[in-house]
Amino acid sequence: MPHIVTAFDDDLMMIQARISEMGGLAEELLAQALEAVEKRDAALAERVIARDKRIDELEIEVEEAATQLIALRQPMAKDLRVLISALKISTTLERIGDLAKNIAKRAIVVTKHGPVKLTSSIIRMGRSTQAQLSQVLNAYTARDTDAAVAVWQRDVEVDEMYNALFRELLTYMMEDSRMITAGAQMLFIAKNLERIGDHTTHISEMVYYIQKGEPLGDDRPKGEPVGLDAE
Amino acid sequence: MTNMRMAEQAARHQDNKIEARDVHVYYGANEAIKGVDVDILDKTVTAFIGPSGCGKSTFLRCLNRMNDTIDGCRITGQILMDGDDIYARSVDPVQLRAKVGMVFQKPNPFPKSIYDNVAYGPRIHGLVSNKADLDEVVEKSLRRAAIWDEAKDRLNEPGTGLSGGQQQRLCIARAIATAPEVLLMDEPCSALDPIATAQIEELIDELRSSFSVVIVTHSMQQAARVSQKTAFFHLGEVMEYDDTPKIFTNPENPKTQDYITGRYG
Ligand SMILES: Nc1ncnc2c1ncn2[C@@H]1O[C@H](COP(=O)(O)OP(=O)(O)O)[C@@H](O)[C@H]1O
Ligand SMILES: [Mg+2]
Repeated sequence: MPHIVTAFDDDLMMIQARISEMGGLAEELLAQALEAVEKRDAALAERVIARDKRIDELEIEVEEAATQLIALRQPMAKDLRVLISALKISTTLERIGDLAKNIAKRAIVVTKHGPVKLTSSIIRMGRSTQAQLSQVLNAYTARDTDAAVAVWQRDVEVDEMYNALFRELLTYMMEDSRMITAGAQMLFIAKNLERIGDHTTHISEMVYYIQKGEPLGDDRPKGEPVGLDAE
Repeated sequence: MTNMRMAEQAARHQDNKIEARDVHVYYGANEAIKGVDVDILDKTVTAFIGPSGCGKSTFLRCLNRMNDTIDGCRITGQILMDGDDIYARSVDPVQLRAKVGMVFQKPNPFPKSIYDNVAYGPRIHGLVSNKADLDEVVEKSLRRAAIWDEAKDRLNEPGTGLSGGQQQRLCIARAIATAPEVLLMDEPCSALDPIATAQIEELIDELRSSFSVVIVTHSMQQAARVSQKTAFFHLGEVMEYDDTPKIFTNPENPKTQDYITGRYG
């Protein structure tokens, strides 16, 4: 049902449109950063780095618009949840943009070295992360709680890919110490992808909160992190 | 900012001060209240919200039998205060109204001095025996209503000479001078500016340490700021009644949701 004050609806829609724009951009930057890694394309990586600024700008726009709307219209109930979530999702997307940018920067370093054996596995992990992000953004637009929860539960697969890659990269670097520099970059790229996966689940949680008014909980299935000393 | 004590805003488990059971109110053939059940907690601010004409004032007036004075008004059901039926034959409505005070939308001081406005209730109810005691009750009530400093040097001037906000605080002083247990307020701030409104809200927050306060307000922000419990009225029924933070962040009933988000059609 629309608001009696139609300008309120317009403002809410504008904010959600900005979020969608940010989401689309974050998805695209991630796709291009992965392509830069795969094709060893430093020029493409530079473009990703430059375009991340647009996400930062959008985040500020969303933040200003949401703050203003809260002050001027005192939103309640679901409207309030939509706005609080917009603030959190825009921050999350901004971080995803940063991580994509960081992958692009590492892609530039990697291109200066010879080809790395495990690139295709990293790309596969990247595509899964990207699919997760894309699905959670669709769930946000469609307000589809089930789809959001499905993304949230599938993140464990990204975690497991990361764990497998971590072991393989370590083995690879031990076998051939000339690969340490490029291997370490790849390790960071994999870690960035794993972080993007976590941020994606945070968006799932926001979709759930908007619809249900309560938190999704924190018992999300997670892959056991490797690389930490057993305590 | 006292309103922001969020942790405290969730009403603690408390005893019921008033229990309304299956209350119906008719004005002639028009059924204005259609079976309301509500528990009003002691030492808690309860807000009644809802669109105009949904019966908030009518229901509020049931709680101190003000509807008795309206021709053609008929009430069925039960209203218990501390477990006793306030509509029982043995209850004197005038005595009841000393225990259940009321403050109205428009400040309505009597055309008397500030002092006499406050002294009126204790006098007619015979609550004090001498002038010194009466002076004390007047001062205490004016202090409690946060109007003492502004009124103490003009106690013999007419109450109607005060500003709107001051008049409303004088009316609150008058209402609490009889040491009531429940204070009913029907849109007490709708004629006041934002500063006077903030002063009344601060006062309401202070008063709830001693009374059970029930406030009808058409400002949802005000309900959210001052109350711990909120009841949403719609067409003579209570659609939803819950802790205030719950009503304003995650109401259960879609009608409540539509109303508080400004989608009421
Ligand atoms: N004194 C009265 N005589 C007849 N009908 C009344 C009287 N007071 C209220 N009503 C009717 O009862 C209904 C509820 O009114 P009211 O309690 O004033 O609602 P609210 O306070 O929520 O605006 C309305 O239909 C109104 O017309
Ligand atoms: Mg009314």
